[in-house]
Amino acid sequence: MTTTIQETEGKIIAVLSGELDTAAAQETEKALQPLLKSEGKDIIIDCKELEYISSSGLRVLLGILKQAKAVGSRVILKSVNDVIRDVLDLTGFIHLFEFE
Amino acid sequence: MALLRNSRLSRIGIVVLAAVMVEVISIVQYEHLRGIMQDEMNVRGRMMGRSMADVLEHTLELTETTMLENLWDVRRCMAHPDSLFQSMVRLIDSNPHAVGGSIAFKPYYYRSKGRLFEPYAVKHKDGSITVSQLAGPDHDYTLNEEYQWVLDHRTTSWTDPYTFGPDSLSLSSFSYPIKDGDGEIVAICSIDIDLTWLGDTLNAHQPLRSSFGLVVNDYGDLVAGPSPRRNSPDEVEQALSIFEGRLPASANPSISFQVSKLEKDPYWQVVQVYSIDETFAGLRKHGLQNLLLVLLGLAVLAFMINLYARNENKLRLASEEQARISGELEVARGIQQEMLPKSFPPFVYGSLEPAREVGGDLYDFMLRDGKIFFCIGDVSGKGVPSSMLMSVAHSIFRLIASKEERPAQILSAMNAQIARGNDSNMFMTFFVGCLDLYSGEFHYASAGHDKPFILTSDAQLLQAASNLPLGVFPDTRFEEHSCTLAPGTTLLLYTDGLTEAKNKARKAFGRDGMAPVLDAYLSSPEKSLKSLVTSLSEAAHRFAGEAPQSDDLTLLAVRFAPEDLLHEEITLRNTEADIPLLGTFMKDFLAKVEADNRVAAGIRLAVEEAVVNVMNYAYPAGEEGSVLIKADSNRREVRFTIVDSGFPFDPTTVLEPDTTLSAQDRPIGGLGVLLSRRLMDSMAYSRRDGKNVLSLTKFLR
Repeated sequence: MTTTIQETEGKIIAVLSGELDTAAAQETEKALQPLLKSEGKDIIIDCKELEYISSSGLRVLLGILKQAKAVGSRVILKSVNDVIRDVLDLTGFIHLFEFE
Repeated sequence: MALLRNSRLSRIGIVVLAAVMVEVISIVQYEHLRGIMQDEMNVRGRMMGRSMADVLEHTLELTETTMLENLWDVRRCMAHPDSLFQSMVRLIDSNPHAVGGSIAFKPYYYRSKGRLFEPYAVKHKDGSITVSQLAGPDHDYTLNEEYQWVLDHRTTSWTDPYTFGPDSLSLSSFSYPIKDGDGEIVAICSIDIDLTWLGDTLNAHQPLRSSFGLVVNDYGDLVAGPSPRRNSPDEVEQALSIFEGRLPASANPSISFQVSKLEKDPYWQVVQVYSIDETFAGLRKHGLQNLLLVLLGLAVLAFMINLYARNENKLRLASEEQARISGELEVARGIQQEMLPKSFPPFVYGSLEPAREVGGDLYDFMLRDGKIFFCIGDVSGKGVPSSMLMSVAHSIFRLIASKEERPAQILSAMNAQIARGNDSNMFMTFFVGCLDLYSGEFHYASAGHDKPFILTSDAQLLQAASNLPLGVFPDTRFEEHSCTLAPGTTLLLYTDGLTEAKNKARKAFGRDGMAPVLDAYLSSPEKSLKSLVTSLSEAAHRFAGEAPQSDDLTLLAVRFAPEDLLHEEITLRNTEADIPLLGTFMKDFLAKVEADNRVAAGIRLAVEEAVVNVMNYAYPAGEEGSVLIKADSNRREVRFTIVDSGFPFDPTTVLEPDTTLSAQDRPIGGLGVLLSRRLMDSMAYSRRDGKNVLSLTKFLR
């Protein structure tokens, strides 16, 4: 599981790749700390390389979303594959995030 | 008789209509008959009057003839006046009706005889005849109107009748003027005839009491009539008065007359009097009787129609009821058959043949968590009531067996439901089995049901505590047994409809009857459950022959036939650090069973969430524990069984979080169980031997 964050054109882009399982959740949460300081900038989470997500991973995403909403930032999930989409769908998360 | 079915009203209508029609016909008939009778009476009256007139005319003519025939004798005797007495005797003697004869000479015809001379002969009652000279100082015949009339008119004459003599005879006299050579009238000869008989003859054959005949002269005087004994003088007088017009017809509206007039002097009339009332009294009486009879007949008819219609109605209701019941039985049978399994996986087959339209037997099976839950039952009795209990039991079984996996618990729960309010004291024998299709682990419990056969290399009875049937006592405890079946083992369940199928000699098919079929099955290479079940059923039918099927015949065969099974397992510590091991294990296993990527990802997530849950919560914080994950598959489905020895915890009872809440309101936890449950086809929990056993199953294809 690798996480990279970059900032361009006033947007924060986080790229997740690998499997965000329970074991990886804590580590990923730490890696995404910078997103908590978005200061109103849009956050794009690129899921193109994300193969798997567990409920712990969802919890990480939810934490980011709550923080961002509090400061007026949008959170956009980008390039979500079918497996991840199924999970988001089952849990109702599909209604919380914006997709691209 | 469709018309009659409609209603009571239409029945009454029909009878009233019939009554009116019959009464109208009666009235028309009555009037017609009355007309005929009136004509008949007229004809009869005319005939009687005419014949009476004929008799009278004949009598009068006879008298006139008597006179004419005796004239030569009278003329001869006139030469000797005294011989005229004998001439008068001869005159009256030659006529049966004559009672008197006389000859009155003009005054002083015979000087010797003085002014008046009238020889006279009279016939007495006894037939003797006496003579006398009638004229005298107190009898001057020249003053007699009749005498004068004949003299004046110089012709014969009949007098009106008059009463004469001690016997009050009714007489009438015929007078004949006797002339000399110059044509001068010298004497008038008279013959008196008795008409007393006339009235009696006229009334001897009257058809009715109130009818009578009268003879009346030109002036309306009564010549002859009925005797006072027959008809009262008042009655006769009234009739005569009406006839003469002296009384209006309204004085007696029912009186009627038929008149026949004599065609010769004295031109009397024979009047036939009759009363319309009496004439038609018989007819009226008859008509009335007829009317009453018809009404009686109609009443009987109405009663019968009513009875018939009521019976018809009853019959119709009964046949409708029967049609309804058999229709409902057909529906019930349909529902019952509908509830029975229709498609069978290769390791199970069953059949049920009800003895009547609906039966009290049932069998069923369900597949869950890699296990087959199956049952067979037999309700006491047959027909609708037992089938109702059977349906109830069936529903309860499906409901309970979808959650509970221990056969004894299933029986207990069913028994509690069935025994409650079981006022009709029905009960049912029942057998529940649960076979793990991967391991052959077999749990079963019987509620008084026939012991099943267990077919391995030979046929044995499966040993089981018989327990009480379901529905007897609500708190019955059921003993459960378990064993592990060797691959290839077949279980055969049946109801007593099979073993107690009887032939005409009342001998039962029994287990002995089953033996050859079971042997044939065991020695067959293909071991087809369907052919086992149908062969047994056919053998029982062959045995029973013509004897009717007395009970439902139900069979269920289950075979433990593990083929191409895949089994792997892994034990992890209760730390999230071991999660990647699980990921690898899952990916490997799912690849082996060739699960679709997306499905495989879902299954992996479901199992991981369940395992993480155990790792986090099953053991007290900081305490080391382990979690066993067993994976099974027959390539059609996968089953993961997660076993831990931590706190008892049933994740299937956890409430799901609300997935429709907004981001701010969403709780962080609780998603794991939701994902496990939603991603898999079934999730079952049991606590066994101090361990939590959670199984997750998913069909692959």
